[in-house]
Amino acid sequence: MSNRYITRHITFLVTVISIALFSFTSANAQDGEALFKANCTSCHAVKEKMIGPALKGIGNRRSEEWLIKWIKNSQAVLKTGDEYAVKIFNDYNKVAMPSFGLKDEEVKAILAYVKAEEQKPDAPVAGAPAGGTTPVQESQPIWLYLLIAASILYLLSAVLGRVQHTLARTVRQNEGLPEPAPKTRWESFRHWFRNNKKLVAVILIFLTLYGSVKGWYSLQSIGISQGYTPEQPIAYSHILHAGDLQIPCVYCHSGAERGKVAGIPSANVCMNCHKYVRKGPTTGTAEIAKIYKALDYDPDKGTYGPNQTPIQWVRVHNLPDLAYFNHAQHYVVGKVACQTCHGPVQDSMTVAGQYSPLTMGWCINCHRTTKVNMAGNAYYNDFHKQLLSKYGADSLLTVQTIGGLECARCHY
Amino acid sequence: MSKKYWKGVEELRNDAEFVRLKNNEFYENLPLDQVIEKKAQDVNTTPRRDFLKFLGFSVAAASLAACEAPVRKTIPYLIRPDQITPGIANWYASSYFDGYDYCSVIVKTREGRPIKLEGNPLNAVTKGGVNARVQASILSLYDDARYKTPISGGNPSSWEVTDKAIIEKLTAIAVKGGKIRILSSTIISPSTKKVIADFAAKYPTTKHVVYDSVSASAMRQANQESFGLNVIPSYNFDKANVIVALDADFLVNWISPVEHARQYAETRKLNGGKKSMSRHIQVESALSVTGSNADLRIPVKPSQQGAVAANLYNAVAAGTGASAIAASALDAETVKKIASVAKELLENKGKSLVVCGVNNTAIQNVVNGINSLLDNYGTTIDLDNANHLRQGSDTDLTAFLDELNKGEVAAVFVYNSNPVYTLPNGAAFAEALTKKVELSVSFSDRPDETSAVCNYVSPDHHAFESWSDAEPRTGIYSVGQPTIAPLFSTRQAEESLLLWSGNPTNFHDYMAAYWSSAIFSKTSGSWNKVLQDGVFELPAAVTKNYKTSANLNTSAEAIGKMSASGFELVIYEKVGLGNGQQANNPWLQELPDPISKVTWDNYIAVSPKDAREKGWKQGNVVTVKAGTISVKAPVVIQPGQAFGTASLAIGYGRTVAGRVADNRGVNAYPFTSLTGGNINMSVGGVDIQKTADEDYMLAATQTHHTMMGRAIVKETSLAEYIKDPKAGNEDELLTIKVGKGEEVKKKAGDLNLWGDFDNGNHHWGMSIDLNSCIGCGACVVACTAENNVSVVGKDEVNRSREMHWIRIDRYYSSDADPKEGESGDIKKMEDPSDMPRVVFQPVMCQHCAHAPCETVCPVIATSHSSEGLNQMTYNRCVGTRYCANNCPYKVRRFNWFRYTDNPQFDFNMNNDLGKMVLNPDVVVRSRGVMEKCSMCVQRLQDGKLTAKKEGRKLVDGEVKTACAQSCPTHAITFGDYNIPDSELNKMWNPDERSYHLLGELNVQPNVYYQTKVRNIEEGKEA
Repeated sequence: MSNRYITRHITFLVTVISIALFSFTSANAQDGEALFKANCTSCHAVKEKMIGPALKGIGNRRSEEWLIKWIKNSQAVLKTGDEYAVKIFNDYNKVAMPSFGLKDEEVKAILAYVKAEEQKPDAPVAGAPAGGTTPVQESQPIWLYLLIAASILYLLSAVLGRVQHTLARTVRQNEGLPEPAPKTRWESFRHWFRNNKKLVAVILIFLTLYGSVKGWYSLQSIGISQGYTPEQPIAYSHILHAGDLQIPCVYCHSGAERGKVAGIPSANVCMNCHKYVRKGPTTGTAEIAKIYKALDYDPDKGTYGPNQTPIQWVRVHNLPDLAYFNHAQHYVVGKVACQTCHGPVQDSMTVAGQYSPLTMGWCINCHRTTKVNMAGNAYYNDFHKQLLSKYGADSLLTVQTIGGLECARCHY
Repeated sequence: MSKKYWKGVEELRNDAEFVRLKNNEFYENLPLDQVIEKKAQDVNTTPRRDFLKFLGFSVAAASLAACEAPVRKTIPYLIRPDQITPGIANWYASSYFDGYDYCSVIVKTREGRPIKLEGNPLNAVTKGGVNARVQASILSLYDDARYKTPISGGNPSSWEVTDKAIIEKLTAIAVKGGKIRILSSTIISPSTKKVIADFAAKYPTTKHVVYDSVSASAMRQANQESFGLNVIPSYNFDKANVIVALDADFLVNWISPVEHARQYAETRKLNGGKKSMSRHIQVESALSVTGSNADLRIPVKPSQQGAVAANLYNAVAAGTGASAIAASALDAETVKKIASVAKELLENKGKSLVVCGVNNTAIQNVVNGINSLLDNYGTTIDLDNANHLRQGSDTDLTAFLDELNKGEVAAVFVYNSNPVYTLPNGAAFAEALTKKVELSVSFSDRPDETSAVCNYVSPDHHAFESWSDAEPRTGIYSVGQPTIAPLFSTRQAEESLLLWSGNPTNFHDYMAAYWSSAIFSKTSGSWNKVLQDGVFELPAAVTKNYKTSANLNTSAEAIGKMSASGFELVIYEKVGLGNGQQANNPWLQELPDPISKVTWDNYIAVSPKDAREKGWKQGNVVTVKAGTISVKAPVVIQPGQAFGTASLAIGYGRTVAGRVADNRGVNAYPFTSLTGGNINMSVGGVDIQKTADEDYMLAATQTHHTMMGRAIVKETSLAEYIKDPKAGNEDELLTIKVGKGEEVKKKAGDLNLWGDFDNGNHHWGMSIDLNSCIGCGACVVACTAENNVSVVGKDEVNRSREMHWIRIDRYYSSDADPKEGESGDIKKMEDPSDMPRVVFQPVMCQHCAHAPCETVCPVIATSHSSEGLNQMTYNRCVGTRYCANNCPYKVRRFNWFRYTDNPQFDFNMNNDLGKMVLNPDVVVRSRGVMEKCSMCVQRLQDGKLTAKKEGRKLVDGEVKTACAQSCPTHAITFGDYNIPDSELNKMWNPDERSYHLLGELNVQPNVYYQTKVRNIEEGKEA
């Protein structure tokens, strides 16, 4: 929650500052940004070495003319024996830069963008010690206010009680009445109890009822882990990946398309992107480094080492062994969206949590109400006709009508 | 012809104990002593209040424990292999041969663990069949008794140390010119043979000695003498109209049983209006599985086998005009039968087949003579495409043992064999090996009697961790690939031999190179394609007719000298353990013997007549003495056993195999003898004496629940069947009173108490052809593997608590007057029991549409599905067992205990390694719930999902239950009634052979049976 908050503020700040500072730079920069992202980011970053060199200051190192030639056809430049070109080629593992069919203006736009980017300050990172210039706002929890209010009320009542006590004594003294015999607290409580039997009865009945109802519901929730959101070894954000970046769920959880288990993606799936994306907007390099560590990957050299250690994720959804659930049946055949059971992961879950109760009642209810769409799947052809003649309309065909409540569909 | 069947001798005799037990399915009291503490039980003071306190506490503890779910980790692959998707099975073609059983298989793996074997239909030899032993070999992979490191001098060692020591010793021996011997069982891998040749090239004093624990050496010798071919031919049982087997259990044990069983079943099926079937005559001493399927069975003593062969030869020769040979006289009845068999053979010249399993060159020569007279070579016998599965030479073995005893052999390498256990005189071999040999190395992957006395053990991979190739028949190849990374620090034997001969290459590369140079040079092929298919074929040679050139008079003379006095002991192989190398496999130990139904033991089987005369009773312990060999074993009274003979199975009595097998039963190998140049599997002059020992507890699965006196297996003869296809399958008509005393006869199916179910998209069902079922038990093991069926152990089997979801009932028949049976005194049917006919009937849950179990379950744990399945929901079950009581088929099994992680049941599910074989799609049932056949619903769901994902109809035959898939004779057909032209619908013909088991109950099973038809008719001996 707070991470997002900070992220937004930082993004906003950075954007404002950038616009303020660099609004005078070439209008090309905007086209350049798109071109840069489309063509260059798989090998280059502005401020970091990747497969190719960091591009910061490139305008100072080489002339624009040279760069245009180089970017349009690096092989041709190499063939001329250009000293700088050969050195760069050798320094970067002799990986040739492919030729791009870019126009001169487009190359210029890219260079303008690089120039604009290199002048931006490093984006501060939450949690990083140097990034503390941006004020961090913690939202105050509501219970704190309640506690303060309660203390104030308590103090107030204590003071008022004291005042009342003092006033009563003063009155007695003034009227010359004797001091009443001091009562113990217990005696006064019993006294009150005897005088308020009806009230006590009502309170007791209320408490009993409340306790029973509460107890009943808490017993029912035994073994249900709805809302279970354990801390994970890597602070992976679903909001960032599935929400902001709109990566489809099954890109990582590809098992859902094929069979029983949706699966936690193996680290090589992470590396499809994180070979290039080495720094995240929220946690910087810290979390991505954990993937590298697991794979014993050296981001500078681009090599994998031998000391690989698997990542031990904490399992969120734990169906008991006695229940068989198959993702492909629901996602591929039933065309059920992931969010139906897993909730709005992309909008509200940084860390994945169990959205649904995953009880049998919950499954059954869904099977009772969910309509099935058999049209277009030849598997159901004859069965569909048979069901239509029995039930009359497609709208009446639920999972239940095709046997979805039978025991051996899930238990064997 | 009406017959009575009974489930065992106990039932026939109506033992008091049996009568008591048969009325109770669960006759034991609750095992409270194991629940309540001993002390409390002694003083009998566990008062009700304490009990309630305990109960209250347990409930509270259970609820509290349930409040907090454990944190479970999930660890994905770092770099996921392309082909593995968690939750989805991968299938790899592979090949299995352990020197005894051969099958080309497809291995099912889940997340990198092999969990199930299925036959490879592309293989020309096994054609998709798998027998029980190969099916169970997947569990042997996860045997925790396996060697985990190389062994040096009895202690765990490292490969560096062992290799160094072995190479040093080998070099020293080679320098001295000491003899090096590699002793192995049959090797059918051409690459392995090349490895051995390479080894012999490096160490030229090396000789490879091949011997088989169950030898067929005499057959090769006889073929050498008869035709100049030292081979075992391939047989075409499918082309034979008349099959005569002389002591050859060819359906389940003899040479290539999976192949033979399939061919045989083809000649026995009567599908699609076929009106002919083969005629099968079995001459044998002990009642074998093959003999129980025969139309005519001639029981003889082992010493008479030669005489039977010679007499049969003469009878056939008389018909063809060939000259007779000398033959000893036999009793009149046998002679009459032989004459009738000869007549049938002569009527089917070129379409008959005589096979002989006796390891005796003279008898084999005579049998070759018979087949020559009948022109069977080139049709039913193929000498040009030889079978390679038995290559052992008893002559080589004799020579090797001589050298060994003389102290001439310096080094012995034992590969894929266990001579200390399997040789006739294993103890002498062990002594010679330890005292007279400088270097002894075993390649065994798990401890055995031989590896225990070797200097070094260089443990081999299991078959499914190895690369392998095989040539079971000339020109027919299969290839095995590893399906799991080696579990332990083992190394493939071939790689060890290569390394020691100075070639540190890996066997895969070696094999691929060999294939490209030696096999692909003959016919072009691609290595990747071979790996994917698992098979490769060269064009078959044209098969020719051969005539024997052996001097049969010499053979007849040798046969004439064969005689034995007194009792004769037959040594035979059981379907479960075979030659005993997989004895530590609990699935095989618990597989009931198809005939005696005894599990976990071997025993002395004697005929009822002999038992009566000698006063032996089932379970009596007897001493069996032949010469200097003597063992104590329990008696089993076995109808069908030839009079004056007893039989004892090999495979038991292991001493160094693991906790499952050790000291279970007795070792029968010492009774075999290496006399006359061949290993002889019988011995005469045996003295059997009852001991004063207490009776031995034999755990049999069948005598416990009976359905006697009813038409359970329907049966007819071929002649009757041709006249009326519904013969033997007459409907049971029920008499119904209508109106005023009017009586009407009605079929049970016309009287319904309940309405019918609406069927869904599928309506699953099964047809079981009793004509094809040979009783081999492959389905039982396949079901165990597929459905995580627990092994319960001998004690629990004895309490009728075995968990098998499918059982094969075996009934003996009798020709006694049925009226006597109806009068209530079953004992009168005793007489014909000595030589009965046998029928097998697989019974699993019949998935009744009107299931009696469903109506009595108080918690609806068992219910009906719209696809015709009777569903069992374990987690609803509270264990009342009402359903089991109400099931007319007695197919429901109750979990009396938790069989996992329970030291009381120390089988595969009590250790992490053994649990790796479990099918992750099937729940492992816990204590206190009922279970039964689910018709492999996990396979059905998987098949349906595949079709749905691909948006197409499910094709008939696409999904199969494990039992139907594994059946080597395709006796079980699984399918969908909703597919109009499905095999299942084609088989369903109630006007001919199809019937429901106990049809008069009208429980409307979805499983149906086909009447058994025997090829017996008037004028033929039966």
